[in-house]
Amino acid sequence: MTYWSKKRVGGAAACVFAMLAGTISAASAQERQKTQTLYGSMRSVTQDMMNRAGSDGNNFLHTNANYDQTRYFPNRQINTDNVKYLRPAWIFQTEVVETMETTPIVVNGIMYVTTAFNHVYALDARTGEQIWHYKHPMGPITTFCCGPNNRGVAAYGDKVYMGTLDGQLVALNAQNGSVVWKKDVADAALGYSETMAPTAVDGKILIGTNGGEYGIRGFVKAFDAQTGDLLWTFNTIPEKTAGVWATHDATGRDLHRDIEAEKAAFEKMGDPYKTLGGGVWQNPAVDLETRRIYFVVGNPSPDLDGSLRPGDNLYTDSLVSVNLDTGEYACHFQYIPHDLWDLDAVSPPIITQVKTDTGETVKGILHAGKTGHIYVNKADDCSLVRFSEAMVPQENMWVLPTAQGARMLPGANGGVEWSPMAIDADHSLAYAINLHQPMTYQVESTPYPEGKLWLGGAFKVIPTEEQWGNVTAVDYNTGKIRWQVKTQEPMIGGVLATAGGLVFTGEGNGLFKAYDAETGAVLWSFRAGAGVNAPPASYTIDGEQYIVVAAGGNTQLDYKRGNDIIAFKLAR
Amino acid sequence: MRAAAPLIMPVLAAVLALSVGPPANAQQATPPPPEIAENLQLCASCHGADGKPVVEKVPIISGQHMFYLFTQLKDYRAGRRANDIMAPIAAELSDDQMKALATYFAAQPWPNYSEVASPEDTERAHSLAVEGQCTQCHLGGMLGDSRNPRLNHQKVDYLAQTMSDFRNGVRKNAAAMAAIVKGFSDADIAAMSRYLAGL
Repeated sequence: MTYWSKKRVGGAAACVFAMLAGTISAASAQERQKTQTLYGSMRSVTQDMMNRAGSDGNNFLHTNANYDQTRYFPNRQINTDNVKYLRPAWIFQTEVVETMETTPIVVNGIMYVTTAFNHVYALDARTGEQIWHYKHPMGPITTFCCGPNNRGVAAYGDKVYMGTLDGQLVALNAQNGSVVWKKDVADAALGYSETMAPTAVDGKILIGTNGGEYGIRGFVKAFDAQTGDLLWTFNTIPEKTAGVWATHDATGRDLHRDIEAEKAAFEKMGDPYKTLGGGVWQNPAVDLETRRIYFVVGNPSPDLDGSLRPGDNLYTDSLVSVNLDTGEYACHFQYIPHDLWDLDAVSPPIITQVKTDTGETVKGILHAGKTGHIYVNKADDCSLVRFSEAMVPQENMWVLPTAQGARMLPGANGGVEWSPMAIDADHSLAYAINLHQPMTYQVESTPYPEGKLWLGGAFKVIPTEEQWGNVTAVDYNTGKIRWQVKTQEPMIGGVLATAGGLVFTGEGNGLFKAYDAETGAVLWSFRAGAGVNAPPASYTIDGEQYIVVAAGGNTQLDYKRGNDIIAFKLAR
Repeated sequence: MRAAAPLIMPVLAAVLALSVGPPANAQQATPPPPEIAENLQLCASCHGADGKPVVEKVPIISGQHMFYLFTQLKDYRAGRRANDIMAPIAAELSDDQMKALATYFAAQPWPNYSEVASPEDTERAHSLAVEGQCTQCHLGGMLGDSRNPRLNHQKVDYLAQTMSDFRNGVRKNAAAMAAIVKGFSDADIAAMSRYLAGL
């Protein structure tokens, strides 16, 4: 391994040289010593550390903070009283000025962040200094419906793992960024690609796939963390997808389906499972107690044209639970059978204790829908407990798409897009960010185009109508909105809640804000200069708590691009 | 593209008769694989030896994305994209030749070409781009990637023809594009073309 002083690896030439030499720069032992936290010399990520992440106020080990995916950070040093003193500690600029959806992962003072087009940087989390930089040699075939995104790495053992736009899963040496192994997850030419951060658990790397706009057949796969061997595959689209021919959605609203016509079409064309979509591109929640994982499945293909896919289109638009060790089906709940609006299930599910309507406390699953509802389901059988008040205007639901385009609210981006929620279990509050972006839904039937974009029509933003967003706190034990704050632009990115009574989230206009978790009062804001459309994280080094977020804008909503990772701490 | 056929054929014949060499860029950069050397002469007769098209309504392909070019060649051969010039040319190409051609052209620099868009063009194009969510696929700066073509500084006449063809159901190999431009007026298409060509 070639050693490179960090100071020398600043220019592009040095970086290229380092990569050509087959390795990337590494921090010296002395420098590494400085970055250690309370866990001392534990340099690799153990399963025990991963299990205890929910109470670890030093590291940020999971994309969504812990296996329950609460995005609740237990350090209260930065709190409602002193957040006004929060200032940038450092800013790191990546070499990729394009959409950023990455969650920084922090392990013992080392931060791992990704960029669009699959770069990975290891940084000194105290100073922002670069330790190494990996640039994935992208194949010629990439697929993305909504920007060349990447949502981060999984850190596990002595490696970090990343999915790529050309459909690969890459394992890197966490010490120097060199490639340990690469595996093809699925065929990129058919529309399969990776933007999600993988999930690491018990020697497995779990990853789903994008491609719901390309006629894929979705899945979640488990790979061996050491070797990259495939352990199991769960097809999110079973071979029998007709379901129960449901006429209403989870909230009881009429879907306006012509069931007899659908049954006749099903009889004639057969089960459409081979090209039915159903991507999974957000992390699963992991319940180690029951050895089950919970994930949400995206839209059916083609998005707007139901004529080619009669039936309920199982398990699209659903919460699904499978066995962690085998991938065997456990239960599911479909929010929207036979979706024609791309109002699918994407925001990652959260495991927490919830109260049923009879007052019983059970293990529950929360999911924020593009519909604008937060759904509460029981973990054991996936059944629905309740759904929240709508967080955004809903109009004309569920009008069928037409050739001219039919207006319906929410637009196809939500409600809540992929943006992960955070919760504060002490107050039974879930924090969600929403879009209000009026659209028309237009259908035009075309046959499966063999791996090309396949929407079956178009979603069109209505340019004359006002767009905005909001940050909403919902009591998931009642379904009622506790507080709501309107934002200038539709919201996409993610939320972090902390034990300091704060909720952090960013906006497309570059503002990054801290809200009072109980009241929604804006207590602090910072203007980043580019869209803050990535989920924030937090960590602690030498007793100082940091808040970190990427400001790179967003392709999907065309927010101003940037390339900054910004870490904040309290002014001394 | 169909409308351009009567013009293209005599030009193509004339250019071929002159037996031009490989594109200038190809001579300066990495030489092309031998299996496509002859094809390149034919390509240059319309798409230009220096990357600048020499025939009306022919696109810039130097610097275009590899997988997009490969897909278009396959679509011409399969009849999914109709074109009187390109269909018979593609019919003679194997998958390997198509890949080699696409890889070769993707590695060439985009030629220096630009048009001037008026402020009115830009305003109209911005509104259309919001409605159609163009950057979701073509990315910021309309630079494209992999399966989505670069539109930035593409030939203005080709852009206009392509959007018209999508709108009018002539070009059928990208249904999502057809749905998006369905409501475009001629003036919309003209403004958007100038905007993209002048980005």
